[in-house]
Amino acid sequence: MTVPLEGTDSASGRSQALAFVRNQMRNIAPFATLIVLVAFFALASPAFLSMNNVANIMVQISVSGIIAVGLTFVILCAEIDLSIAAVANAAGIVVAYFTLQESYVNIANVPLPGWAAIILALAASAALGLINAFGLTIIGIPSFIMTLAMMQIAAGICALLVRGQIAYAVPDLVSTLGSGSFHGIPWIVIVLCIFLAAGHIVLTYTRFGRYVFMVGGNREAAEYSGVNVKLILAAVMVIGAVCSGVAGMLGVAYFGSAQQNEFDGYLLDAIAAVVVGGTSLFGGRGGIGNTIIGLLILGVLNNGLDHINIDSFLKILIRGIILLLALIINVYVQNLRESERATA
Amino acid sequence: MNAEADKAADGARPRLEMRAISKSFGGVAALRDVDFVLKAGEVHGLVGENGAGKSTLMKIIAGVHAQYQGQMLIDGKPVHFRSARDALDAGIGMVHQELSIVPDLTVAENVYLGKQLTKGGIVDWRGMVKGAREQLASLGIVVDPRIRIGSLAIGLQQLIELARVLFSGARIVILDEPTSALSPPEVERLFEVVRKVRASGRSIVFISHFLDDILAISDTVTVFRNGARVVTEAASKVDKVWLIDRMIGSGHEGLEESYTDDIALDSKPDAPVILSATNLGAGRAFAGVSLDVRAGEVLGVYGFMGCGQLELARTLFGKNRPATGSLALEGKKLRLRNTAQARRAGIAFVPESRRSMLFYSEPVYKNVSISVLDRIARLWLKPAEERRIANGHVASLSIRPPRVNVLLQNLSGGNQQKVALAKWLTWPPKVLVLAEPTRGMDVGAKEDVVKIVRKLRDQGMGIVVVSTEPETVLSLADRIVVMKKGRIVREFAGEKISKDRLLEAA
Repeated sequence: MTVPLEGTDSASGRSQALAFVRNQMRNIAPFATLIVLVAFFALASPAFLSMNNVANIMVQISVSGIIAVGLTFVILCAEIDLSIAAVANAAGIVVAYFTLQESYVNIANVPLPGWAAIILALAASAALGLINAFGLTIIGIPSFIMTLAMMQIAAGICALLVRGQIAYAVPDLVSTLGSGSFHGIPWIVIVLCIFLAAGHIVLTYTRFGRYVFMVGGNREAAEYSGVNVKLILAAVMVIGAVCSGVAGMLGVAYFGSAQQNEFDGYLLDAIAAVVVGGTSLFGGRGGIGNTIIGLLILGVLNNGLDHINIDSFLKILIRGIILLLALIINVYVQNLRESERATA
Repeated sequence: MNAEADKAADGARPRLEMRAISKSFGGVAALRDVDFVLKAGEVHGLVGENGAGKSTLMKIIAGVHAQYQGQMLIDGKPVHFRSARDALDAGIGMVHQELSIVPDLTVAENVYLGKQLTKGGIVDWRGMVKGAREQLASLGIVVDPRIRIGSLAIGLQQLIELARVLFSGARIVILDEPTSALSPPEVERLFEVVRKVRASGRSIVFISHFLDDILAISDTVTVFRNGARVVTEAASKVDKVWLIDRMIGSGHEGLEESYTDDIALDSKPDAPVILSATNLGAGRAFAGVSLDVRAGEVLGVYGFMGCGQLELARTLFGKNRPATGSLALEGKKLRLRNTAQARRAGIAFVPESRRSMLFYSEPVYKNVSISVLDRIARLWLKPAEERRIANGHVASLSIRPPRVNVLLQNLSGGNQQKVALAKWLTWPPKVLVLAEPTRGMDVGAKEDVVKIVRKLRDQGMGIVVVSTEPETVLSLADRIVVMKKGRIVREFAGEKISKDRLLEAA
């Protein structure tokens, strides 16, 4: 080995700092984006930072947030679930279908006690998730295609159950959690926080969470380490579907109605939240912390654009551009890692 | 100077001539001052161990390596290829061991790959089928050109790829290990085609580990060793033993020295059988494999690249499912549906590529704990315990740097390999399967691995070492089985063995 030249130390110190920034790019970029957005909207509209509006934002991100918790597991495994919004819709409709509706609602529904309706809705979403898992792990259909089919199947279930009608009544528990509040704090926000906390704890502190990261980080290595990769993949697909199911039930209570296609916008919102937050689409990097930042970015953006005078049609375009930027950063950071590994 | 004298003597200009070729990779010399002459209408066999330099020379000829010292002449004219395209344009084609056909296209489409016939801008299917049929028939290959190539036997696919290379105008064809996946009749058919090609005045370089095949088809044989050409001789004047002697050499240094001498295999025929395979088979990879892994014994599985030994190793670990046959662990029948079951049953596996075993952007301790996580923790992780265990391995295997929070990507290759091994050592498995455990390691790291494996063996573990490098098997194994084209052809137990006898068996 050669004798290190003078100055090498400080140079390596600097390169280490640089390497740290690069490593943390995935976390720094979304956080900086959030700060910039908040600062911008706070200056542009005095009402933006009011207590009332902040509470609004929290409620607005709740449904997509609960979906995003499950989706974080899926994306950490380098898979994708495109059926989340449709499964949410189906769960919401199932719970309404098994609840006694007012006489003017023209649906052939089957009234059951509230708890039974909730269990049936959860079971339905879990079953749909299991079918996703079966297609992905046993048959070997790529999750992108499998869940695309499931999106259609879940939409079909919705259509069959409501037949173009709208149902309103949901079990009391669901309606409380979806639209009630606890000492002034909306229950739906509390549920979101519980889901985020639970997701974080599972991913960070449990064996299963470690397996999720390892399977996402290097699936082959996980398999050669004796990890049951298929079981982990199946589990994340079911977790994704059940989170969607809960979000779907609360969403129905939050909107006040159960009908077809009412969750369509949430597919993009949930995926965007996870990815904008910095969780790698290639798996193994990210987590609930990133998802929280992503949710806040999307919530602030959606809400903030309403506060400033802007063409409402332009908003859609702006959201698309922000999502694109996040994807660019996501892939760019991934490439940085790969090239570093190649040189190491 | 010498070359010109040769030329005068032969009276004909060689088709290809390489003069004083040297090439190094990052300071390591891969080729040193190599001269090589290929005549028109000759089949030239190239032999040498892995890393002897034959592939490097061929890659220079085929334009893959553009940077080298020395001179290359084709028909007496100096050339220097910057890319494989250049070499192809100059009439040099290569058929790699891994075929580059497109399995889902038809035979005709593959033959005309990249230069489809067109008629007025429209693909001329009829013309292509006709042309392909005629061209293949001229080589004695009879096959329906409209058939999907992936549905044909490997031997036929290979012939069609060779045909494609010839039709693209190649006058020099390099065949890299063409017989490794072929059955004897397929080999014979390949040879017939090769003879036809030779008769047409084109030259063929035939690289192979199978010395019998080399001797059967070549006019001339060149032996490489340690990046240098050792000797070139008419194939009719030499035999297998002569070749092996030249390949191994006599005066060599260090670790390798011991392998020319006889090594007594320390087999333990009385030790209890831990893992036994009966008549195991998996598709084309291997068939009829029966072997016993005994406690406290290292079983070496030796064979050339592609002989099915890596697939066998994966099957023992439940990564691949066998098509036929069965496994038994300590006498009990074992059906492995996935690697997790193998791990729980007490079988461990370190694959040949570190990349497929390790998590580069995770710290060392997570790499070590992943395969024993269920024994450290049930529901909640215990990072402190994981670090403690990892620290123990880092100390006992002297992994550098000795810190468990460093990301794995910051370790050197040899240390990464030790981490890959450490994964399995916390709760020692009953059977440890190692694929190419010392590949690409320096001598010091190799000795470390040998020491670790010996220690594990002495603790009573059954160890399987699968390798394409004779040194690896010889330095580690107590008993050796030799695989050839998916079958076990020879077992060495309780006797003396040397490298040349091992090579001869394969």
